[in-house]
Amino acid sequence: MQNRSAYKHYYLMLLPGLLWLCFFNLLPMYGIVMAFKDFNPGLGIFRSDWIGFEHFKYMFELDDSKQVFKNTIIIAVMKMIGNLIVPMLFALMLNEVKNRLFTRSVQTIVYLPHFLSWVIIAGILLDIFSYTGPVNQLLQTWFGKDPILFFANAELFPWLVVISDVWKEFGFGAIIYFAALTSINPEMYEAAAIDGASQWKRLTSITLPSILPVAILLGTLSLGNILNAGFDQIFNLYNPSVYSTGDIIDTWVYRAGLIDMQYGLATAVGLLKSVVGLILISISYTLAYRFANYRIF
Amino acid sequence: MKKGLKIVALSLVAALSVTACSGNTNNGASNGNTSQKESGSGQTAVSTDTFAKYEEPVVVSIGRSIDPSYTYEGNDTAENNLYTRWLLDAYNIEIKHEWEAASSDYGQKVSLAIGSNDLPDAMIVDESQLRQMVKADQLADLTEVYEQYGSERLKQIYDSNEGLLEGVTFDGKLYALPETTLPSAPLTWIRKDWLDELSLNEPKTIADLEEVAKAFIDNKMGGDNTIGVVGTQQGGSLYSTFLSSSDHFLNFSSVFFAKDAYPGIWVKDDEGKAVYGSTTEETKEALAVLRDWYASGVLDKEVGIRKSTQEVIASGQTGIFFGPWWSAYNIMDSIKNDDKANWRPYAIPVNEEGKFNSNQATGSSFIVVKKSYKNPEAVIKLLNIHVNEKEESYKTAVGKELTSQEIPLFLIMGHGDQLNYAVNTTQKVLRDEITLEEVDKLNYGFTYEIASHVKNVKLEPFDNFDIQYWDQESDPDYFSHLYAHLNGGSTFVNADINWVKSLVTSQTKTMQTRWSNLKKLEDETFLKIIMGSAPIEEFDTFVEKWYQQGGDQITQEVNDLQ
Repeated sequence: MQNRSAYKHYYLMLLPGLLWLCFFNLLPMYGIVMAFKDFNPGLGIFRSDWIGFEHFKYMFELDDSKQVFKNTIIIAVMKMIGNLIVPMLFALMLNEVKNRLFTRSVQTIVYLPHFLSWVIIAGILLDIFSYTGPVNQLLQTWFGKDPILFFANAELFPWLVVISDVWKEFGFGAIIYFAALTSINPEMYEAAAIDGASQWKRLTSITLPSILPVAILLGTLSLGNILNAGFDQIFNLYNPSVYSTGDIIDTWVYRAGLIDMQYGLATAVGLLKSVVGLILISISYTLAYRFANYRIF
Repeated sequence: MKKGLKIVALSLVAALSVTACSGNTNNGASNGNTSQKESGSGQTAVSTDTFAKYEEPVVVSIGRSIDPSYTYEGNDTAENNLYTRWLLDAYNIEIKHEWEAASSDYGQKVSLAIGSNDLPDAMIVDESQLRQMVKADQLADLTEVYEQYGSERLKQIYDSNEGLLEGVTFDGKLYALPETTLPSAPLTWIRKDWLDELSLNEPKTIADLEEVAKAFIDNKMGGDNTIGVVGTQQGGSLYSTFLSSSDHFLNFSSVFFAKDAYPGIWVKDDEGKAVYGSTTEETKEALAVLRDWYASGVLDKEVGIRKSTQEVIASGQTGIFFGPWWSAYNIMDSIKNDDKANWRPYAIPVNEEGKFNSNQATGSSFIVVKKSYKNPEAVIKLLNIHVNEKEESYKTAVGKELTSQEIPLFLIMGHGDQLNYAVNTTQKVLRDEITLEEVDKLNYGFTYEIASHVKNVKLEPFDNFDIQYWDQESDPDYFSHLYAHLNGGSTFVNADINWVKSLVTSQTKTMQTRWSNLKKLEDETFLKIIMGSAPIEEFDTFVEKWYQQGGDQITQEVNDLQ
């Protein structure tokens, strides 16, 4: 009992966050009933007619929705892998550099893009990769290739999306690895050096095992994001000619819901996405607990 | 993006048209006053005084589209400026902003407001939003208040625009106050100075146009990276559709029309049955033309991806684009960069029989009033005031035209033949065939306004609108108006246009669920075909899929409506 009252001020500090969660995340959830209704804004959510699983049936009839789910998963998985491996490799490489000034400045520079919004970066990317932009000019002068319209090419589009996302985020993602690397006890390296372990051996036997839990943790936690392929990014980069590989759930829901005002259908797709996302998060949490002994609750 | 440009252009046109309808400074004001006096003097006033000042301030809350780059006088804002203060002062009508949105996001914000049923008292919506709101029973029936409170002049304007009010009357109830449409057809704008330099003739057909574009490219008229023909930019459409019928700026409607193809609208086939224009053989042919243009480098390689087509036009990289008569407003940047840039519009390309086709635009903006609003007549009054009065006090104080940025619930309101009159009369004044006083100032205020400036701006010869015969410096505000009306407007007014009207102008039942999917299929396939990333045969697959995925049923519904 005494224990609990000692925690009182912690509960108080939690309150604003809980309220926020309640108002902005839990309460609006009643809106998901729209997925089962023929929503008429004039009548409001509660008085609109129930139509059961009509929207879901229609959704599965659409060729579009399969393609959109597929695109989302492909892009998200590729991003997951890229965002797991690249920051780790980068952190390992930079860790080997001994010049502190150099590592510090590189670290700062590479995580800058993280703070720019996709609206800005997309504008820059579209310019760099435009028909007469620098990339095409290089290809032309060095390799004599005909200019390519990168962002109108359905095969290249997902790759560009993934690469640009990894480029934008790897610096920021590396921070957590840097933290893990600095927490390795230097005595282990010294002992290994005395025992005659080579630089490579030290990397594989000490560094890697030490940061592996972090990598596993990040990897499993990112599973929950498998249906989030990045609305901001794709919305700012795509066009109809790359719909076949670039249209994702979120952009589709945006068009159906906000442009075409098919609120019910858009809600149904969004709901399905959330349900799948919930399942994946549960799985990733269990996995994180089992392999990395990481627990939130 | 594209929409943004269009809005800029339209608000420019709009800026003047407001004057168009309200330039009758003295007359308008006294109209209001007389009726007040008459009813005051005990005459049995059957009709309500349409301009009476409210006893108590009446609040009209509105959703407002804001141009973020607009500069107000002093500390004025869209909500509190010369005009709104005057409304409160003279009529006791108080404007409150429920929300504001940048013009490019306004449509979305309105959709959100409709979807959440969280509506301001009045706002401006587009056609599909209007229909959505009628269906959702969110709107006030304006039939009676319009009859009772609509001023004589307002009614005159609507009466002179045939069919306009019928278009917004559902089950005998008037649900909106429509904008008077500015007529629009996609003209072809060409740099005539380049034509002259290469001693080329004005093109007539699609083939001629292609030749001209090739000549521009081969002779590097716009530098090394000259682009033959520009058009759709990212997020824009390839052609106007039955849901956005006046969308003619920077797309390829012209090319389709010249092949007698009407993609995006509903037309009759040979047997008189309704058919969706995008699925016809003619559309396939027009796509083939664009595809050839793209492959041979005539068409902008970045069509559909480009962030801003207007930038290319302004920088002088291209010599050909498609746009309606008011596009002249949008080439001011090009002229600023190069005062020899002689853009001229042509009613081309023509079809095989030599006819110039265009779809007919239906209305695009509507004032609607929330069902539960207690003072719907206040909105009618606002419009009465907007079309009728313009008191010297506020007009001279700012010394500039008030635009949609100051005037709440701004609609372009004018007589049906407004553009015709403006173009013809201005020229007559210029040639001294009539005096300025003979201009019908009461009904065509804007014409009077520009006609009074025409002599400052237009140099001889008066019938030649090439850029070198204009004085761009001495009266820059009116240069753009007059240049648009005489250069753009006159070509449009004098053109012999074969109008084609869509059989339906709103969505049928099945369309409401299926259309976004079908439209996506259409947009994707067409852009791919043009850019060569799909073979032209893909068109037939598209047609098949289109009918399969709901097009069949929709076509049936459209036929049932006929």
